[in-house]
Amino acid sequence: MAEPLKKEKTKVVDEGIDVGISRLTEEKIESVINTVLETETGARLKIYVETCIHCGLCSEACHYYLSHDKDPHYSPVGKIKQTIWEMIKKRGRVSPEFIRRAAIIAQTECNMCKRCAQYCPFGIDIAYMLSVVRRIIHKLGVTPLYIQDTAHSHSVTMNQMWVKGDEWPDTLQWQEEEAQAEIPDLRIPLEKEGADIMYSVIAPEPKFQAQLIYQAAVIMHVAGVNWTMPASVGWDNSDMAMFTGDNEVMGRLKRAHFETAARLKVKKIVMGECGHAFRSVYDMGNRWLGWSMPPFTIVHAIEFYYDLIKDGRIKIAKKYKTVIEMHPNREHNYCCCAGGGVINTGPPFKMTRILGNRVKAEQLFETKTKGAEVLVAPCHNCHSGLHDIVHHYEIGLDIKFFGDIIYEVMEKPE
Amino acid sequence: MRNVTLIALSLLIGIVLALTTAWSQDDMTVVDNAAFDNPQRTPSVFVHDEHNEMAEIDDCAKCHHLYEDGKLVEDESSEDQSCSECHDLEGSGDQPSLVKAFHTNCKGCHQEQKKGPIMCGECHIK
Amino acid sequence: MHSFYNFVSGPLAWIAFILFFGGSTYRIVRMLMLVNEKEKFIFTYMSWRYSLRSIFHWIIPFATVNWRRQPVLTVVTFAFHICLMATPIFLLSHVVLWDEAFSISWWTLPDAMADVMTVIVILGAVYFLVRRLTLPEVKFVTSGSDFVILAIVAAPFVTGFFAYHQWLSYPLIMCLHVLAGDIMLAAIPFTRLSHMLFSPFTRAYMGSEFGKVRHARDW
Repeated sequence: MAEPLKKEKTKVVDEGIDVGISRLTEEKIESVINTVLETETGARLKIYVETCIHCGLCSEACHYYLSHDKDPHYSPVGKIKQTIWEMIKKRGRVSPEFIRRAAIIAQTECNMCKRCAQYCPFGIDIAYMLSVVRRIIHKLGVTPLYIQDTAHSHSVTMNQMWVKGDEWPDTLQWQEEEAQAEIPDLRIPLEKEGADIMYSVIAPEPKFQAQLIYQAAVIMHVAGVNWTMPASVGWDNSDMAMFTGDNEVMGRLKRAHFETAARLKVKKIVMGECGHAFRSVYDMGNRWLGWSMPPFTIVHAIEFYYDLIKDGRIKIAKKYKTVIEMHPNREHNYCCCAGGGVINTGPPFKMTRILGNRVKAEQLFETKTKGAEVLVAPCHNCHSGLHDIVHHYEIGLDIKFFGDIIYEVMEKPE
Repeated sequence: MRNVTLIALSLLIGIVLALTTAWSQDDMTVVDNAAFDNPQRTPSVFVHDEHNEMAEIDDCAKCHHLYEDGKLVEDESSEDQSCSECHDLEGSGDQPSLVKAFHTNCKGCHQEQKKGPIMCGECHIK
Repeated sequence: MHSFYNFVSGPLAWIAFILFFGGSTYRIVRMLMLVNEKEKFIFTYMSWRYSLRSIFHWIIPFATVNWRRQPVLTVVTFAFHICLMATPIFLLSHVVLWDEAFSISWWTLPDAMADVMTVIVILGAVYFLVRRLTLPEVKFVTSGSDFVILAIVAAPFVTGFFAYHQWLSYPLIMCLHVLAGDIMLAAIPFTRLSHMLFSPFTRAYMGSEFGKVRHARDW
């Protein structure tokens, strides 16, 4: 049942995909697809494909689908039909052009948010199936350029942003000095063996947003936390390899992270405000390494802040604003459309994200009309993605991390 | 088109029903289902004499059997009784329920003889 | 017709039931073996509590967000599936046959009610057909097999309905009815009708992942 795309898409130029495609042969495609299907998938994929009754009930779960006027090409099952079903049905005999489309769908038109699994009556894990497609795309060398670059960075430097060995402690020292202007006895403890907490961040923090490390240090200091940061590799908890299907690199990254915590003999790992890193450390990377749950207690920043406030270790000096919930909310909220590695595919796909999440803009606008002024996004990718949406649709909301707000309203030493 | 089919169908059924009733006024035409509280089906069509003539049955005991202590009594028949005098609605032990007795008696023989109706609606004609 | 009826309701019915029970067992055992062979971790994440919690929500009409979003579909699909399962199992004529063949019997539906339930199944099938043909998001992912399995499911009910009312050539319809039933039974384990077998497992696994790992609801 063919259905023309409602809007003719302007052909995206992405060097990673285009150059990758130009190197493909039909034989290679066939062999890679079949190898992945045979050696890396099992009952899940088989049962999901054979159980799906093609009812389309997952469609309205997807922000891409809703944002594209219910174009079925963007429904979760529609994306499956255009990718893995064909690959299975044709036993890997698909064209390079098909792979190009599959790469774009899997890497840029799905955020792996799994909202569709909450709408499928059978609980079919559609995002998992698209992650199998990503794995195939990775093995075919057709991953979009920008995210592939971050995966390369991970592989070479063990951090996402090509932060060099000396740049990391330099940045920490710089932020320590900045913070000492405000709180003279503040320290950012490096390599402190036996500290209670190892604080890890994602590489974009030292690279672009070093003030977040400053703020975290102030919160740690005021709360009197016995904490430390590693001085060498293992400080970056982010993981773009997870999103490109480069599981081997994902495993190396997580091993380095956990082993660093073990080397420092800390009790637990607290991580900055990041969504995908938590997924990597708590859900995906640990599994690849054979840990059903992470070998360390992993505490996400917002849970950590919550505990600090609840225990009275930091005190709120002034009320910030009234909370206005957006709808749908909680686990039914719409994805930011940046996650799942989509924002990391960079400029060629910026409009894919923005146009693919008009429904988020509508939701934010509705919340704004109820009086909201600030949008809290405790994740770097959400933060940047939402920034683009707010800007493009001219919604006019400030976007903040929890850390920004806590830093602003907490009691600090005079 | 559908309406025409429906009308034609009901006419046809009507005629068939009328004819069957007309033919068989004199004799027994259906199996007596008075023993059932809430019969779910129409009484089974059964024209006694015609059936036996066609089936060449002379021995009443062929159908009107008599069991004592679970054993068939040869050369005895039970046409002076109602089936429901022995076969109650529930059935017990070796004694089949009335429904089952009717079914096995008629259908069982039809199956053996490879003749006569064996599907529900062939006897329970609407 | 005698021998044809006896064939479809005798040897062929045996084959159908053997394929249904044997095939279902085979498919489930194969699935578990495959999990054991390649994705053993699934067993680690399965949780009775979260599995049952998820299944429980999804088998109750309007107990999930998506059921509430689709009220018409929810009513139709629940009515369809309940009638689909209950009617053949509790139909008087079927139980009479079980009784005759194996001297086993159980509670039965009044014929008038079974008649209504059959109509519900047929109308449900029509609804699904129309939905498939008209809704773009369903149409887009529809293939020939979707119509085939819908037909496989509808056929025993359509023929059963005609047979009960003795419309058209009764003996022929009756034989087709039994044949259609045999086909449906045999098809369940080997077509996507197998969602009957697998959906509790897929739901349970997703419920476990969401509940135990994500600490979130999957409904």
